[in-house]
Amino acid sequence: MTTVLDAAMALLLQTGFVDGLIEFVQPDVLVEVVVRGLAKSAIYIMIAAGLTLIFGLLGVLNFAHGALTMIGAYLGGVVMVLTVGSGTGPWARLALFFVAMAVVFGLLAALGGSIEIALIRPLYDRAPIYQILLTFGVTLILEELVRIVVQFYGLQPIAEWQEALGTIPVFLDTSHSLGPISVRGLALFEILLGVLTVAAIWGFLTHTRYGLFIRAGSEDSEMAEALGIDVRRVFTVVFALGAGIAGIAGTLLMWDQVWGASVPLAADALLPAFVVVIIGGLGTFRGTVVGGLIVGLVDATTTWWFQNVVVTWTWLPEVAIFLILVVALIVRPQGIYGVEEVGGH
Amino acid sequence: MYLVVIALLAAYPGFYHLLTQSGLSSETVALLPRMETMVAVLYFALFAMSFDFISGYTGYLSFGHAAFYGTGAYTVLLIANGKVPLLGAETPFVAALLVGAVLATLLAVGIGLVSFRLTGVYFAMITLGFAQVLYVFVRDWDYVSTNPRDGIALSGGRGFELGVPFVDQLTVKLGTLTGDTLTLLGHTLGTTTVSFYAVGLVVLLCYLAMQRIVHSPFGRVMIAIRENEERAEAIGYDTFRYKLGAFAISGFFGGVGGGLLAGFKRSVTPETGFYFLTSGDALLASIIGGFGTLAGPLWGHLFDESVREFLSKQGQGGGLLPYLESTLSEGFLATELYGGLTVEGFITAALNGHASLYVGIVFVLFVLYVPDGLVGTVRDRLGGPVADRLPERLWGDR
Repeated sequence: MTTVLDAAMALLLQTGFVDGLIEFVQPDVLVEVVVRGLAKSAIYIMIAAGLTLIFGLLGVLNFAHGALTMIGAYLGGVVMVLTVGSGTGPWARLALFFVAMAVVFGLLAALGGSIEIALIRPLYDRAPIYQILLTFGVTLILEELVRIVVQFYGLQPIAEWQEALGTIPVFLDTSHSLGPISVRGLALFEILLGVLTVAAIWGFLTHTRYGLFIRAGSEDSEMAEALGIDVRRVFTVVFALGAGIAGIAGTLLMWDQVWGASVPLAADALLPAFVVVIIGGLGTFRGTVVGGLIVGLVDATTTWWFQNVVVTWTWLPEVAIFLILVVALIVRPQGIYGVEEVGGH
Repeated sequence: MYLVVIALLAAYPGFYHLLTQSGLSSETVALLPRMETMVAVLYFALFAMSFDFISGYTGYLSFGHAAFYGTGAYTVLLIANGKVPLLGAETPFVAALLVGAVLATLLAVGIGLVSFRLTGVYFAMITLGFAQVLYVFVRDWDYVSTNPRDGIALSGGRGFELGVPFVDQLTVKLGTLTGDTLTLLGHTLGTTTVSFYAVGLVVLLCYLAMQRIVHSPFGRVMIAIRENEERAEAIGYDTFRYKLGAFAISGFFGGVGGGLLAGFKRSVTPETGFYFLTSGDALLASIIGGFGTLAGPLWGHLFDESVREFLSKQGQGGGLLPYLESTLSEGFLATELYGGLTVEGFITAALNGHASLYVGIVFVLFVLYVPDGLVGTVRDRLGGPVADRLPERLWGDR
């Protein structure tokens, strides 16, 4: 037994695991990783929030969510590139960013609403799988349309849109030192925006009349209808809202070098959003927030480990979030806050 | 009736050849899928059938099904490149194909043991998770080739031989460049045509095997699980075992499909093998063809590929674009539509490489208006499986 332990110990020492662990628990390293993790969490939560709202009420797993996020990124980029010149100051750029966000939210909410009315509404009385399939088809169409438009304007659909990346204000682009650590301004901005989004959605759900309708509809849509709520209209509004939130997330991603506006962003955003929503439990907003935090922190940790300790395992950070998904589903199949029946047969 | 369908498919190469030689050649090239595409349709249809076998019959959406396809393809190519211990590069293709399929089966059992504790969306997501883990892993695993992101290709100019090992007369080489030609009754069959028949034979055998299983008592239990799992359990079936068994069988045939892909193309990339959109393509094929009908995915994928090839230029292949370019007059092509955009520019932009747009539209229309798919709808109209009903309709009930 001891020999096995010794061998394991030797192996860990050899791979630099112990040294890595010692370095990892240094306060400044740990705080830096946590801040990065929170920034990633904020992004994941923002991408997944719309998905979970839609699933919670409509029971539709929206495969088009990634495509909507991607369209949001491009539209946000269009607004920014058209309005921002080289002489625009950083604060003006920030203000324009919020304008872009509002514009994108409106446009995507309109797009989402029309998709719901035209395509998904005829399918509610069919098996749930058909709604999933339909949104999958919508994804193919949207992605290809964007590709055509982007190519028409002479941009590379696969690569990130550099011009849009360039509209970022200086103080978000540079690193700031906060006590012992240095953080990129954008990371802090992402955390701030994430908190604001979560607060806004939570407030909307719990403190407005419409939020009450949505919660009632999620609980029991037939009962809500019997009580005089126009559930069909609530469905449309929620789908539009979900699409709009996807657009807001997309607008933010347009500034982030790791993501950037590009056509493959659709799949890159969709898969983590699924993971977050599933881990948290389908259709619960609280679960999505917690799921996003877990995924973001684990992602930041594995990325740090890969960069500093186990350099040979280049696939580790990319695999990490799917490993979380698999492990989480094995340990708790219905998600952290999920209810057993939701999303099953 | 099966024989009629098989005969139709078997006659396709000759039919295509005759048409391309005739006066209608430009229309034919534009409208009908090329032979290379037909081979691809066959082996991908096998994969789509295996997807439908589990998803359509038990109702468990296996969204990570590409893992089995990729495993089959990667195993065959790794063995052929001598990268697998105990199995040399000279291992016959058929043996490698079987090894790949068995590995895919084992993988399916492993994934199934964990995943069948879940149902519905969760099942789809956990299988997707497993497949994506494998996808990223394979993409960065530098053992498979020097540049794992580009996948593996068969080293050297060799081709795979499909047939009975060590019996030369019963073996043909696969591939467009490396394949055999056959001379039969004075006609020489091209390399692709020979591959078409060889691959088609394997796909046919697999189809018949799956067909047999679906119509066996085992298959009835699978359908019972789809219709009402609790009830099947209450009657006394250990549904977990049935699901796992069905998943393993499905993994096996998915692996065979992947192996055939490797055999014909002699290369595979992580994207064609393991990526989740590969599973998505199988889903498209199943829905368009008819979910829960074993022959459906073949027709669905054939339809899907025909649309893709017709409406978007792929390589040197046919399609609408070259046809329009050669038949429309110069003057019309140069006509300006709007802001400097000519007719030619417009059709080039619309018809070049944007296949998924049209496939997406077709798919959405199918989901909305033809939810039972091609085969399912025809069955509905005829009131039973086509093989039983069509002869009755044509020749009366005998």
